[in-house]
Amino acid sequence: MSFFSHRKNQIWLGIVSTLMLINLYLIFVVTPIHPEQQWAQRIFYFHVPTAWTGFLAYFLVMIGGILFLWKKDQKWDNFGLASAEIGTLFTALVLVTGPIWAKPVWGHAWTWEPRLTTTLVLFLIFVGYFMLRAYGGHPERVSRYAAALGIIAFADVPIIFISVKFWLPEFQSHPQVEMNKQAPEYLYPFLFSLFVFTMVYLIMLRYRMHIINLKNKTLSE
Amino acid sequence: MFFTLLKKDLLLELRSKEIVISMLTFGVTVILTFAFSFNVSSDIMGTFAPGLFWIMILFISVLGLQRSFAYEKEFDAYSLMLTSPVDRGLIFLSKWISGTLFLIITECAVALPFILFLQLTIDVNMLNFCGVIILADLGIMVGGSLVSGLAMRAKMSAVLLPILMFPIVSPVLIAAVKATIGLLNHEPYAYWQLSIRIMGSFTVIFGLIGYTLYDHISEE
Repeated sequence: MSFFSHRKNQIWLGIVSTLMLINLYLIFVVTPIHPEQQWAQRIFYFHVPTAWTGFLAYFLVMIGGILFLWKKDQKWDNFGLASAEIGTLFTALVLVTGPIWAKPVWGHAWTWEPRLTTTLVLFLIFVGYFMLRAYGGHPERVSRYAAALGIIAFADVPIIFISVKFWLPEFQSHPQVEMNKQAPEYLYPFLFSLFVFTMVYLIMLRYRMHIINLKNKTLSE
Repeated sequence: MFFTLLKKDLLLELRSKEIVISMLTFGVTVILTFAFSFNVSSDIMGTFAPGLFWIMILFISVLGLQRSFAYEKEFDAYSLMLTSPVDRGLIFLSKWISGTLFLIITECAVALPFILFLQLTIDVNMLNFCGVIILADLGIMVGGSLVSGLAMRAKMSAVLLPILMFPIVSPVLIAAVKATIGLLNHEPYAYWQLSIRIMGSFTVIFGLIGYTLYDHISEE
Protein backbone atom coordinates (compact mmCIF):
# COMPACT_ATOMS: atom_id res chain seq x y z
CA MET A 1 0.00 0.00 0.00
CA SER A 2 1.31 3.41 -0.96
CA PHE A 3 2.35 5.76 1.85
CA PHE A 4 0.01 8.51 0.73
CA SER A 5 -3.03 6.26 0.41
CA HIS A 6 -3.25 6.28 4.24
CA ARG A 7 -5.71 8.92 5.42
CA LYS A 8 -3.45 9.95 8.32
CA ASN A 9 -0.48 10.55 6.00
CA GLN A 10 -2.63 12.56 3.59
CA ILE A 11 -3.69 14.85 6.45
CA TRP A 12 -0.05 15.20 7.55
CA LEU A 13 1.05 16.08 4.03
CA GLY A 14 -1.78 18.58 3.67
CA ILE A 15 -0.89 20.34 6.94
CA VAL A 16 2.85 20.47 6.22
CA SER A 17 2.32 21.71 2.63
CA THR A 18 -0.02 24.45 3.83
CA LEU A 19 2.44 25.48 6.54
CA MET A 20 5.26 25.63 3.98
CA LEU A 21 3.17 27.82 1.65
CA ILE A 22 2.41 30.18 4.55
CA ASN A 23 6.11 30.13 5.42
CA LEU A 24 7.11 31.10 1.86
CA TYR A 25 4.49 33.88 1.85
CA LEU A 26 5.82 35.23 5.15
CA ILE A 27 9.42 35.12 3.95
CA PHE A 28 8.95 36.67 0.50
CA VAL A 29 5.95 38.96 1.00
CA VAL A 30 5.32 39.85 4.64
CA THR A 31 8.87 40.18 6.07
CA PRO A 32 10.31 43.62 5.28
CA ILE A 33 13.61 43.90 3.38
CA HIS A 34 16.51 44.13 5.81
CA PRO A 35 18.18 47.58 5.58
CA GLU A 36 21.74 46.20 5.78
CA GLN A 37 21.59 42.82 4.10
CA GLN A 38 18.81 43.54 1.59
CA TRP A 39 17.56 40.46 -0.31
CA ALA A 40 20.46 38.30 0.87
CA GLN A 41 18.78 38.14 4.26
CA ARG A 42 15.95 36.07 2.76
CA ILE A 43 18.22 33.06 2.34
CA PHE A 44 18.74 33.17 6.06
CA TYR A 45 15.15 31.97 6.62
CA PHE A 46 16.10 28.76 4.83
CA HIS A 47 19.74 28.43 5.86
CA VAL A 48 19.30 28.39 9.63
CA PRO A 49 16.14 26.18 9.69
CA THR A 50 17.85 23.61 7.42
CA ALA A 51 20.90 23.70 9.72
CA TRP A 52 18.70 23.22 12.78
CA THR A 53 16.84 20.35 11.10
CA GLY A 54 20.10 18.72 9.95
CA PHE A 55 21.56 18.78 13.46
CA LEU A 56 18.27 17.59 14.96
CA ALA A 57 18.31 14.68 12.48
CA TYR A 58 21.89 13.76 13.40
CA PHE A 59 21.06 14.00 17.10
CA LEU A 60 18.23 11.56 16.49
CA VAL A 61 20.62 9.27 14.59
CA MET A 62 22.62 9.08 17.81
CA ILE A 63 19.48 8.39 19.87
CA GLY A 64 18.43 5.72 17.34
CA GLY A 65 21.93 4.21 17.56
CA ILE A 66 21.85 4.03 21.36
CA LEU A 67 18.37 2.47 21.34
CA PHE A 68 19.33 -0.03 18.63
CA LEU A 69 22.42 -1.21 20.51
CA TRP A 70 20.41 -1.40 23.71
CA LYS A 71 17.12 -2.95 22.53
CA LYS A 72 18.39 -4.79 19.41
CA ASP A 73 15.19 -3.79 17.66
CA GLN A 74 15.44 -3.35 13.86
CA LYS A 75 13.04 -0.40 13.91
CA TRP A 76 15.67 1.75 15.65
CA ASP A 77 18.18 0.93 12.94
CA ASN A 78 15.62 1.96 10.30
CA PHE A 79 14.95 5.11 12.29
CA GLY A 80 18.68 5.91 12.41
CA LEU A 81 19.14 5.31 8.69
CA ALA A 82 16.09 7.40 7.74
CA SER A 83 17.17 10.24 10.00
CA ALA A 84 20.76 10.10 8.67
CA GLU A 85 19.52 10.35 5.08
CA ILE A 86 17.36 13.38 5.81
CA GLY A 87 20.06 14.95 8.00
CA THR A 88 22.59 14.64 5.18
CA LEU A 89 20.16 16.17 2.69
CA PHE A 90 19.53 19.14 4.98
CA THR A 91 23.22 19.49 5.80
CA ALA A 92 24.01 19.57 2.08
CA LEU A 93 21.43 22.37 1.74
CA VAL A 94 23.17 24.26 4.56
CA LEU A 95 26.48 23.97 2.71
CA VAL A 96 24.82 25.31 -0.45
CA THR A 97 22.77 28.12 1.12
CA GLY A 98 25.64 29.23 3.41
CA PRO A 99 27.88 30.45 0.56
CA ILE A 100 24.87 32.03 -1.25
CA TRP A 101 24.25 34.14 1.86
CA ALA A 102 27.92 34.70 2.70
CA LYS A 103 29.04 36.02 -0.71
CA PRO A 104 27.07 39.32 -0.68
CA VAL A 105 27.26 39.79 3.11
CA TRP A 106 30.85 38.73 3.94
CA GLY A 107 32.39 39.10 0.48
CA HIS A 108 33.53 35.46 0.36
CA ALA A 109 31.52 32.43 -0.65
CA TRP A 110 33.26 30.31 1.97
CA THR A 111 34.67 31.26 5.35
CA TRP A 112 35.92 28.89 8.01
CA GLU A 113 33.22 30.01 10.38
CA PRO A 114 32.94 27.51 13.28
CA ARG A 115 29.33 26.41 12.69
CA LEU A 116 29.74 26.10 8.94
CA THR A 117 32.99 24.18 9.37
CA THR A 118 31.44 21.88 11.97
CA THR A 119 28.57 21.24 9.53
CA LEU A 120 31.05 20.38 6.76
CA VAL A 121 32.98 17.97 9.00
CA LEU A 122 29.76 16.33 10.15
CA PHE A 123 28.57 16.06 6.54
CA LEU A 124 31.82 14.28 5.60
CA ILE A 125 31.49 11.86 8.52
CA PHE A 126 27.98 11.00 7.33
CA VAL A 127 29.16 10.48 3.75
CA GLY A 128 31.48 7.89 5.33
CA TYR A 129 28.48 6.57 7.30
CA PHE A 130 26.65 5.76 4.04
CA MET A 131 29.77 4.19 2.57
CA LEU A 132 30.03 2.02 5.68
CA ARG A 133 26.38 1.06 5.25
CA ALA A 134 26.98 0.20 1.59
CA TYR A 135 30.27 -1.69 1.91
CA GLY A 136 30.23 -2.86 5.54
CA GLY A 137 29.44 -6.50 4.77
CA HIS A 138 26.80 -8.53 6.62
CA PRO A 139 23.61 -6.41 7.14
CA GLU A 140 23.26 -7.25 10.84
CA ARG A 141 26.86 -6.26 11.48
CA VAL A 142 26.47 -3.09 9.40
CA SER A 143 23.50 -2.01 11.53
CA ARG A 144 25.64 -2.24 14.67
CA TYR A 145 28.55 -0.40 13.05
CA ALA A 146 26.25 2.34 11.75
CA ALA A 147 24.67 2.75 15.19
CA ALA A 148 28.13 3.10 16.75
CA LEU A 149 29.23 5.60 14.09
CA GLY A 150 26.08 7.67 14.61
CA ILE A 151 26.95 7.94 18.32
CA ILE A 152 30.62 8.74 17.62
CA ALA A 153 29.72 11.41 15.03
CA PHE A 154 27.39 13.37 17.28
CA ALA A 155 29.66 13.04 20.33
CA ASP A 156 32.35 14.69 18.20
CA VAL A 157 30.24 17.77 17.36
CA PRO A 158 30.99 19.94 20.45
CA ILE A 159 34.71 19.10 20.31
CA ILE A 160 34.90 19.95 16.59
CA PHE A 161 33.07 23.23 17.22
CA ILE A 162 35.35 24.28 20.09
CA SER A 163 38.49 23.29 18.19
CA VAL A 164 37.46 25.21 15.04
CA LYS A 165 36.67 28.29 17.16
CA PHE A 166 40.11 27.97 18.72
CA TRP A 167 41.71 27.42 15.29
CA LEU A 168 40.49 30.71 13.80
CA PRO A 169 39.21 32.91 16.65
CA GLU A 170 39.12 36.04 14.44
CA PHE A 171 36.19 34.74 12.39
CA GLN A 172 32.86 36.43 12.67
CA SER A 173 30.16 34.95 14.81
CA HIS A 174 27.32 33.26 12.96
CA PRO A 175 24.28 35.44 12.17
CA GLN A 176 22.03 33.18 14.25
CA VAL A 177 23.58 34.67 17.37
CA GLU A 178 22.25 38.09 16.38
CA MET A 179 18.81 36.89 15.32
CA ASN A 180 17.26 37.17 18.77
CA LYS A 181 18.23 40.85 18.72
CA GLN A 182 16.22 41.50 15.55
CA ALA A 183 12.89 43.32 15.49
CA PRO A 184 9.73 41.12 15.77
CA GLU A 185 8.90 41.51 12.05
CA TYR A 186 12.16 39.66 11.25
CA LEU A 187 12.22 37.35 14.24
CA TYR A 188 8.71 35.83 14.12
CA PRO A 189 8.85 34.63 10.47
CA PHE A 190 12.25 33.14 11.33
CA LEU A 191 10.83 31.20 14.31
CA PHE A 192 7.88 30.08 12.17
CA SER A 193 10.30 28.84 9.50
CA LEU A 194 12.17 26.83 12.15
CA PHE A 195 8.90 25.18 13.16
CA VAL A 196 7.85 24.43 9.55
CA PHE A 197 11.19 22.87 8.64
CA THR A 198 10.95 20.67 11.74
CA MET A 199 7.52 19.53 10.54
CA VAL A 200 8.98 18.83 7.07
CA TYR A 201 11.66 16.72 8.73
CA LEU A 202 9.04 14.73 10.66
CA ILE A 203 6.95 13.87 7.60
CA MET A 204 10.07 13.01 5.60
CA LEU A 205 11.21 10.75 8.44
CA ARG A 206 7.85 8.98 8.43
CA TYR A 207 8.01 8.53 4.67
CA ARG A 208 11.61 7.26 4.61
CA MET A 209 10.91 4.79 7.44
CA HIS A 210 7.94 3.48 5.46
CA ILE A 211 10.17 2.99 2.37
CA ILE A 212 12.96 1.31 4.39
CA ASN A 213 10.44 -1.05 6.04
CA LEU A 214 9.03 -1.98 2.62
CA LYS A 215 12.54 -2.56 1.25
CA ASN A 216 13.50 -4.78 4.20
CA LYS A 217 10.24 -6.72 3.89
CA THR A 218 10.83 -7.31 0.17
CA LEU A 219 14.41 -8.42 0.77
CA SER A 220 13.41 -10.89 3.49
CA GLU A 221 10.70 -12.50 1.34
CA MET B 1 44.11 -9.59 30.46
CA PHE B 2 44.82 -6.13 29.03
CA PHE B 3 48.55 -6.67 29.41
CA THR B 4 48.31 -10.10 27.73
CA LEU B 5 46.58 -8.52 24.72
CA LEU B 6 49.07 -5.66 24.64
CA LYS B 7 51.96 -8.15 24.89
CA LYS B 8 50.48 -10.08 21.96
CA ASP B 9 50.39 -6.95 19.76
CA LEU B 10 53.89 -5.90 20.77
CA LEU B 11 55.34 -9.42 20.30
CA LEU B 12 53.79 -9.72 16.86
CA GLU B 13 55.39 -6.44 15.87
CA LEU B 14 58.71 -7.30 17.48
CA ARG B 15 58.89 -10.45 15.37
CA SER B 16 57.76 -8.98 12.05
CA LYS B 17 58.57 -5.25 12.48
CA GLU B 18 56.08 -4.70 9.66
CA ILE B 19 54.12 -1.83 11.18
CA VAL B 20 56.97 0.41 12.35
CA ILE B 21 59.11 -0.16 9.24
CA SER B 22 56.23 0.56 6.86
CA MET B 23 55.20 3.65 8.88
CA LEU B 24 58.78 4.92 8.96
CA THR B 25 59.40 4.37 5.24
CA PHE B 26 56.12 6.01 4.37
CA GLY B 27 56.93 8.94 6.68
CA VAL B 28 60.25 9.57 4.93
CA THR B 29 58.51 9.36 1.54
CA VAL B 30 55.97 11.95 2.67
CA ILE B 31 58.79 14.26 3.85
CA LEU B 32 60.37 13.90 0.42
CA THR B 33 57.13 14.94 -1.27
CA PHE B 34 56.90 17.94 1.08
CA ALA B 35 60.44 18.95 0.14
CA PHE B 36 59.65 18.64 -3.57
CA SER B 37 56.36 20.52 -3.25
CA PHE B 38 57.75 23.57 -1.43
CA ASN B 39 60.72 25.76 -2.12
CA VAL B 40 62.78 24.45 0.81
CA SER B 41 64.12 27.26 2.96
CA SER B 42 64.19 27.69 6.71
CA ASP B 43 61.73 30.60 6.63
CA ILE B 44 59.05 28.92 4.53
CA MET B 45 59.38 25.52 6.15
CA GLY B 46 59.48 27.03 9.64
CA THR B 47 56.03 28.52 9.04
CA PHE B 48 54.51 25.34 7.68
CA ALA B 49 56.46 22.77 9.72
CA PRO B 50 53.87 22.18 12.52
CA GLY B 51 51.08 21.57 10.00
CA LEU B 52 53.23 19.39 7.75
CA PHE B 53 54.46 17.36 10.71
CA TRP B 54 50.95 16.52 11.88
CA ILE B 55 49.72 15.79 8.35
CA MET B 56 52.57 13.30 8.07
CA ILE B 57 51.69 11.75 11.44
CA LEU B 58 48.05 11.44 10.42
CA PHE B 59 49.02 9.67 7.17
CA ILE B 60 51.42 7.25 8.83
CA SER B 61 48.93 6.48 11.60
CA VAL B 62 46.46 5.30 8.93
CA LEU B 63 49.10 2.99 7.52
CA GLY B 64 49.92 1.64 10.99
CA LEU B 65 46.27 1.04 11.83
CA GLN B 66 45.69 -0.76 8.55
CA ARG B 67 48.62 -3.10 9.19
CA SER B 68 47.68 -3.63 12.81
CA PHE B 69 44.13 -4.66 11.98
CA ALA B 70 45.27 -6.65 8.93
CA TYR B 71 47.08 -8.99 11.35
CA GLU B 72 43.75 -9.75 12.96
CA LYS B 73 42.13 -10.58 9.63
CA GLU B 74 44.78 -13.13 8.69
CA PHE B 75 43.56 -16.68 9.39
CA ASP B 76 40.44 -15.04 10.85
CA ALA B 77 42.36 -14.45 14.08
CA TYR B 78 39.92 -11.74 15.13
CA SER B 79 36.93 -14.12 15.12
CA LEU B 80 38.95 -16.63 17.15
CA MET B 81 39.88 -13.93 19.63
CA LEU B 82 36.21 -13.01 20.02
CA THR B 83 35.35 -16.61 20.92
CA SER B 84 37.73 -16.42 23.88
CA PRO B 85 36.40 -15.07 27.20
CA VAL B 86 37.95 -11.61 26.82
CA ASP B 87 36.35 -8.29 27.65
CA ARG B 88 35.98 -6.73 24.18
CA GLY B 89 36.65 -3.27 25.59
CA LEU B 90 40.12 -4.50 26.55
CA ILE B 91 40.77 -5.51 22.92
CA PHE B 92 40.07 -1.90 21.98
CA LEU B 93 42.33 -0.58 24.77
CA SER B 94 45.20 -2.87 23.73
CA LYS B 95 44.88 -1.84 20.06
CA TRP B 96 44.79 1.82 21.06
CA ILE B 97 47.81 1.68 23.37
CA SER B 98 49.91 -0.56 21.10
CA GLY B 99 49.08 1.70 18.13
CA THR B 100 50.15 4.75 20.13
CA LEU B 101 53.41 3.06 21.11
CA PHE B 102 54.19 2.19 17.46
CA LEU B 103 53.39 5.76 16.46
CA ILE B 104 55.69 7.22 19.13
CA ILE B 105 58.54 4.91 18.07
CA THR B 106 58.05 5.92 14.43
CA GLU B 107 57.93 9.61 15.34
CA CYS B 108 61.25 9.33 17.18
CA ALA B 109 62.82 7.84 14.05
CA VAL B 110 61.12 10.13 11.53
CA ALA B 111 61.84 13.36 13.43
CA LEU B 112 65.48 13.48 12.32
CA PRO B 113 64.83 13.27 8.54
CA PHE B 114 61.96 15.75 9.00
CA ILE B 115 64.26 18.35 10.59
CA LEU B 116 67.18 17.54 8.29
CA PHE B 117 65.45 17.44 4.91
CA LEU B 118 63.23 20.44 5.56
CA GLN B 119 66.16 22.46 6.95
CA LEU B 120 64.47 23.30 10.22
CA THR B 121 66.01 24.78 13.33
CA ILE B 122 64.18 23.56 16.37
CA ASP B 123 64.53 25.40 19.65
CA VAL B 124 61.91 24.01 21.95
CA ASN B 125 61.36 22.75 25.49
CA MET B 126 61.69 19.03 24.77
CA LEU B 127 59.73 17.87 27.81
CA ASN B 128 56.69 19.95 26.86
CA PHE B 129 57.09 18.99 23.21
CA CYS B 130 57.13 15.26 24.06
CA GLY B 131 54.07 15.76 26.26
CA VAL B 132 52.14 17.40 23.41
CA ILE B 133 53.22 14.66 20.97
CA ILE B 134 52.18 11.83 23.29
CA LEU B 135 48.81 13.45 24.03
CA ALA B 136 48.13 14.07 20.31
CA ASP B 137 49.19 10.50 19.45
CA LEU B 138 46.80 9.14 22.07
CA GLY B 139 44.02 11.28 20.56
CA ILE B 140 44.75 10.27 16.96
CA MET B 141 45.00 6.61 17.86
CA VAL B 142 41.87 6.50 20.02
CA GLY B 143 39.82 7.81 17.08
CA GLY B 144 41.73 5.63 14.63
CA SER B 145 41.35 2.42 16.63
CA LEU B 146 37.65 3.04 17.07
CA VAL B 147 37.11 3.63 13.35
CA SER B 148 39.35 0.68 12.45
CA GLY B 149 37.12 -1.56 14.53
CA LEU B 150 34.17 -0.44 12.39
CA ALA B 151 35.90 -0.48 9.00
CA MET B 152 38.12 -3.53 9.49
CA ARG B 153 35.75 -6.10 8.02
CA ALA B 154 34.14 -3.87 5.40
CA LYS B 155 34.74 -4.52 1.72
CA MET B 156 36.51 -1.19 1.23
CA SER B 157 38.25 -1.01 4.60
CA ALA B 158 41.39 0.66 3.20
CA VAL B 159 39.28 3.49 1.76
CA LEU B 160 36.82 3.76 4.62
CA LEU B 161 39.44 4.14 7.34
CA PRO B 162 40.86 7.54 6.27
CA ILE B 163 37.45 8.79 5.06
CA LEU B 164 35.96 8.20 8.50
CA MET B 165 39.02 8.82 10.60
CA PHE B 166 40.21 12.21 9.28
CA PRO B 167 37.04 14.21 10.00
CA ILE B 168 36.55 12.46 13.34
CA VAL B 169 40.06 13.22 14.60
CA SER B 170 40.10 16.75 13.10
CA PRO B 171 39.85 18.41 16.56
CA VAL B 172 43.04 16.60 17.63
CA LEU B 173 44.81 17.72 14.45
CA ILE B 174 43.82 21.35 15.01
CA ALA B 175 44.82 21.24 18.68
CA ALA B 176 48.13 19.46 17.98
CA VAL B 177 49.12 22.00 15.30
CA LYS B 178 48.17 24.92 17.58
CA ALA B 179 50.12 23.50 20.52
CA THR B 180 53.17 22.82 18.32
CA ILE B 181 53.07 26.39 16.95
CA GLY B 182 52.77 27.70 20.50
CA LEU B 183 55.77 25.67 21.65
CA LEU B 184 57.96 26.54 18.66
CA ASN B 185 57.18 30.25 18.95
CA HIS B 186 57.71 30.19 22.75
CA GLU B 187 54.22 31.54 23.32
CA PRO B 188 52.99 31.57 26.94
CA TYR B 189 51.09 28.42 27.93
CA ALA B 190 47.90 30.47 28.43
CA TYR B 191 47.77 31.08 24.63
CA TRP B 192 47.57 27.43 23.68
CA GLN B 193 46.35 25.69 26.84
CA LEU B 194 42.96 25.10 25.19
CA SER B 195 44.63 22.73 22.72
CA ILE B 196 45.75 20.53 25.63
CA ARG B 197 42.20 20.55 26.98
CA ILE B 198 40.78 19.68 23.54
CA MET B 199 43.18 16.76 23.06
CA GLY B 200 42.66 15.59 26.64
CA SER B 201 38.86 15.73 26.43
CA PHE B 202 38.84 14.03 23.04
CA THR B 203 41.07 11.22 24.33
CA VAL B 204 39.02 10.65 27.48
CA ILE B 205 35.60 10.88 25.77
CA PHE B 206 36.53 8.64 22.84
CA GLY B 207 38.45 6.26 25.09
CA LEU B 208 35.28 5.75 27.15
CA ILE B 209 33.03 5.55 24.06
CA GLY B 210 35.41 3.05 22.46
CA TYR B 211 35.61 0.89 25.57
CA THR B 212 31.80 0.85 25.88
CA LEU B 213 30.96 0.45 22.17
CA TYR B 214 33.54 -2.19 21.34
CA ASP B 215 31.46 -4.77 23.13
CA HIS B 216 28.62 -4.07 20.67
CA ILE B 217 30.82 -3.52 17.62
CA SER B 218 32.60 -6.86 18.00
CA GLU B 219 29.51 -8.94 18.75
CA GLU B 220 29.26 -11.99 16.49
